[in-house]
Amino acid sequence: MTCRVFVANRGEIAVRIIEACDRLGYETVLGVSRADRSSLAARRAGRTVVLGGPQSRESYLSVDTVLHAAIATGCTALHPGYGFLSERPDLARGCAEEGIVFVGPSPEALDALGDKLSARALAKRLGVPVSPGGTAENWEEVSRLADDIGFPVLVKAAYGGGGRGMKLVHTAADLADAWSVASSEAAAAFGDGTVFLERYVTDAKHIEVQILGDRHGNQIHLGERECSVQYRYQKVVEESPSSSIDGATREVMTTSALKIAAELDYVGLGTVEFLYNVETGDVAFLEVNPRLQVEHPVTEQVTGIDLVRQQLLAALGEPIEITQNDVTVDGHAIEVRITAQDPDRGLAPTPGTVAVWRPPVGGGIRLDSHIFEGYDFPPFYDALMGKLVTWGPDRAAAVTRMKGALDDFVIGGVITSQPLLRRIIAAPAFAANTVTTHWLGDAILDGVPS
Amino acid sequence: MDIDLEELAAIIELLDKTDFTQFRFEKGDLRIAVSRGEALFPQAIGSIAPEGAVRGHGTAGAAVASTVAAPASIAPSPSAAAAGPAVASVDELAADEFLVRSPMLGTFYSAPKPGEPAFVQPGEDVQSDAVLCIIEVMKLMNSVSAGEAGTIRRVLVRDGDLVEYDQPLFVLGRTP
Repeated sequence: MTCRVFVANRGEIAVRIIEACDRLGYETVLGVSRADRSSLAARRAGRTVVLGGPQSRESYLSVDTVLHAAIATGCTALHPGYGFLSERPDLARGCAEEGIVFVGPSPEALDALGDKLSARALAKRLGVPVSPGGTAENWEEVSRLADDIGFPVLVKAAYGGGGRGMKLVHTAADLADAWSVASSEAAAAFGDGTVFLERYVTDAKHIEVQILGDRHGNQIHLGERECSVQYRYQKVVEESPSSSIDGATREVMTTSALKIAAELDYVGLGTVEFLYNVETGDVAFLEVNPRLQVEHPVTEQVTGIDLVRQQLLAALGEPIEITQNDVTVDGHAIEVRITAQDPDRGLAPTPGTVAVWRPPVGGGIRLDSHIFEGYDFPPFYDALMGKLVTWGPDRAAAVTRMKGALDDFVIGGVITSQPLLRRIIAAPAFAANTVTTHWLGDAILDGVPS
Repeated sequence: MDIDLEELAAIIELLDKTDFTQFRFEKGDLRIAVSRGEALFPQAIGSIAPEGAVRGHGTAGAAVASTVAAPASIAPSPSAAAAGPAVASVDELAADEFLVRSPMLGTFYSAPKPGEPAFVQPGEDVQSDAVLCIIEVMKLMNSVSAGEAGTIRRVLVRDGDLVEYDQPLFVLGRTP
C-alpha cells in the first residue's frame, strides 16, 4: 500500500516535508487555511484541502478538523511539522485510534516531555545535569527554595514553552509577586498553574543535541547545534557544530541526550536542549523538543543526513538507514532566519506582497523557503520567510559565505530582518563566538552590536 | 494519449454551442466525459476541488470530468484537469441565486440519519433558519442553515462527501 502523508502544517516546513515525501515515493495531502490556498506548499502537494478560516485556531490548530481531513482523504500517516499541533498528545492519540501513523514520538513520550517539571524530574533521575531548582507548595517553601538556589532565579510554568510563562526574579522582595503572577498567568495560558524555580544563568549559551530513534532499538545522536543568538527566547541564528564546547562537554551532552532517548524508547527526531554556563563550564538540561526543529538544516549540512527522511522512515516502522558510526560532522553550517519583521520597530510583523525575491546562489548555500515573487505574505502566522544556510570547511568560512549570501539576497516589497542578520553576522562578538543568549537583546536595545 | 487544457477548453467551447446533456469520448486510455446540469458520471473523480480549474476556460454550461485508464486514487491538485460537475455550475449563478457554503471541513450528510429523507429537496422553499444539511467533524454533528430564505435550486455535493471549508453546498433562488 502506498503511504499517503497528511501534512498538518504550512510555510517552509510544509514544502520541506512534501519534498521528503516525494523522494520517498509517498503521496501527500496538505491541509491549508483559506489564506494559504495558493501557497507554494499547496502547489506542490498531491492534494490540498481547505481546513478552515485564516486564523490558526480555525484551521491549523483544530485537532478534530485536521484528523477528519486526514481520515477522509485516506492518509496513512500524519506529519505535524513544528509548532501548531506538533506536540499535542491528543492529536497523537487521535491518529493512533484511527490507525494513522503520527510522525512523532508516542503520546506517552509527549506527555512526559510536555510538562517541563516532569521532564526535569526525568533528567534528574537519569543523572543528567539540571540547574539547581525545584517546585514548592506554599510561600514558606518557595522562599526557602529560592534562598537555597540563590538569586537571580527563573520562575517557569510547567506547561509553558517558547519563552512564555517565564519570569526572571533578581531579589527575594520580588519573589512572592512573581510567583503568584506566574502561577495565575500559567493557569490562564496553559490550563495548569504549576510553576517551578530554577537558577538563572546570566551568561549562557544555548546548545542542543539532535537525537533520532526507530522501532528497532536504534538510537543515535547527530551532534549538537548552538543557538545562542536569540531574542525573547526566539532563535535567530543557529549553527552546527558548536565552537564553544570542548570534547568532554560534548560527551556529557550527547550521553545525556541518549540516556533520555533510551528511557523514553524514543522514536523519530527529538532535540535535547541544554544551557552551557560560559563562566563555570557547567551544563544544565533545559527541555526536550519532541519534534522536527526549525534549525534542522544545519545538522543536515554537516552530517549529510536527511533528517526528515529518517524521521518518516522511523515513524513508519522502518529501521533508520544510519548507525552512530555513520554520523560524522564535516565542516560548519550556519543558518539565519529571514523573517517578515522590522528590526527598527521592535521586530514588528511586516506582512505584505513580496515584490522581489532573488535568493543568492552558489556553492555551500541552501535556502529553505516557501516564498516566491508576488507572494502575498499573510498576517496570520509566524513571520518566518526562509532559512538561509551556508556551509564551509570551518566556522570562519561558513561565516564569510553567509556574509556574501546575505549581501546578494535581494528582497523587495516587504521589510525583513535581513539588515539585522547582516549586523549580527558582521559583529565582532559573533565572529569571536562570545555571544550568549542575552547578547542580541542587548545589541538590539543598544542599537550597536559589539 | 495526452490532452492539454487548451484542447480540453476547445472541446468544451464547441460543445457549449450545441444542445446536449451528456457527452462521452473514448480513445485508447483517454476518456472524456462532459455533462451539463446536475448529471453525475459514476467514473468522475470522487473528490472535487472547491474552486475548479476548468473555470475561466469557457466552460459555461458544461462540467468536465476526465479520467485516464488507471484513475489516481488521489485527486490531482487544482491545476490538473479535474473538477466536479457541481462546482463548475457555481460560475453560472443566475442573478436571483445565491450559495450556501460549508462553514467547516467535514463529511456532508443530506439527511438527519441514514435512510431518512433529506432535510431539503430541490424545488423546496426554505426559511433562513431552515437546516439544509449536517457537516460531521470527528463524530460531532453541525447543522448548516440557509441563512436567507429561498428556494433550493441545486445540491452541489453528494451524501457522504468530504467537503472543505467554504465549499459551495447549495444553490438557492431568492424568494421574489
